[in-house]
Amino acid sequence: MANAIPFQLITPLSVKFDGEAELVIAVGTEGEVGILPSHAPYLTALRPGVLRANVRDGSADATRRLELACSEGFMQALPDKVTILADAALERDEIDIAQARADLAAAQEEQKAAGGDLYAQRRALVKIDYANARLSVAGVS
Amino acid sequence: MPSVRDLRDRIRSLKNTQQITKAMKQVAAAKIRRAEALQKQSRPYADAIGAMLRDLIANVGSVDHPFMKPGTADVPGGVILMTADKGLAGSFNANLIRMAEIHGRENANLAWYAVGIKARNALRRQRGETLQVWPLAQGDMFANAQALAQRVTDDFTSGKIASLTLVSPKLVNMMTQRPELRQILPIVAAETADAEKTPKGGAVEFEPTPEFVLGRLLPKYLEFTLYSAMLETNASFYAAQLVAMNNATDNAKKLIDQNTIEMNKARQAAITKEILEIVGGAEALAG
Repeated sequence: MANAIPFQLITPLSVKFDGEAELVIAVGTEGEVGILPSHAPYLTALRPGVLRANVRDGSADATRRLELACSEGFMQALPDKVTILADAALERDEIDIAQARADLAAAQEEQKAAGGDLYAQRRALVKIDYANARLSVAGVS
Repeated sequence: MPSVRDLRDRIRSLKNTQQITKAMKQVAAAKIRRAEALQKQSRPYADAIGAMLRDLIANVGSVDHPFMKPGTADVPGGVILMTADKGLAGSFNANLIRMAEIHGRENANLAWYAVGIKARNALRRQRGETLQVWPLAQGDMFANAQALAQRVTDDFTSGKIASLTLVSPKLVNMMTQRPELRQILPIVAAETADAEKTPKGGAVEFEPTPEFVLGRLLPKYLEFTLYSAMLETNASFYAAQLVAMNNATDNAKKLIDQNTIEMNKARQAAITKEILEIVGGAEALAG
């Protein structure tokens, strides 16, 4: 049995997950980051993307694969816990595929319209990434 | 003296009013429970983002982010006036609007942002211009907060406003909501003063750099501050409405009682008068 650490996924609307994880893989601004128990203190900004984690629910020893579409956020890893803050995190059955497709199209338009404005470009990119993450978690892309 | 029929009509209309206020009271009681639940659900996020911010500031030597620096003096200060979308909540909206008005008199040069339809209407009355409104309780509240945060961030970083102040209610308890004025931008160091307590040094790794993460975290912090203020405004509104509707129901009951007594008196007077007439008539015939 692998080690596990307390893992919390928090959004402003609710605590999405609160339990133990053996492994958490999130999309950082510099690429994917995998966190195992006893990680050195670490704090990073997250890009919108697919968050994966091997988690244990309650007393059961069996691990479950958690896969969520996360919007922008932050991950803090301490030796004894991992916390992820995100604006939104959606599980597969919570994703509205039509909405995600519409958001993707709107964001791509926005990106085209942004032109040389780097700030607007970045904003559009965030939306595109989040829409793609939702589609990918939902199993369509 | 009003006739029996007049009084009966009046009582009927009062009863209808009472029914409405009672229904609104019950609705407010249900909504406040929901609003409070939302507030409670946002607390873990508040704790976590606060902790991250402290860790960051403890690790960043000097903070070089626009949010931490005051703007230039000659541009207006930004003020967000946060009220409810609807009325019928006693002096709830009026108190907030009055506080904003007083603030407006003390500081000549201000740029306003309206959250809640009542705020927009009040600012329109005062200043004669229709501002964009961010509705409080329509649609996705967090998305509204994000849109507002983006707008004020743009205005602040581009130098259109020098600071940001928020006028919003504080929910002291179910009976009391106090309007409050607080500064949001630039983020004051006092808020993060207890950062000193956390150990400094290379204990924490940041990716890519502490400054970069802080640059991302501060806008989120602003978004969340506005969101939680909106949650509190919403909960305060329903609390105020609950009290107002409770009072209205009580008042209606009092009026109904008063009018019922008066109606009974009028009816009794009419009966007495009729008996007197009959007796008078009978006596005239007998005599």
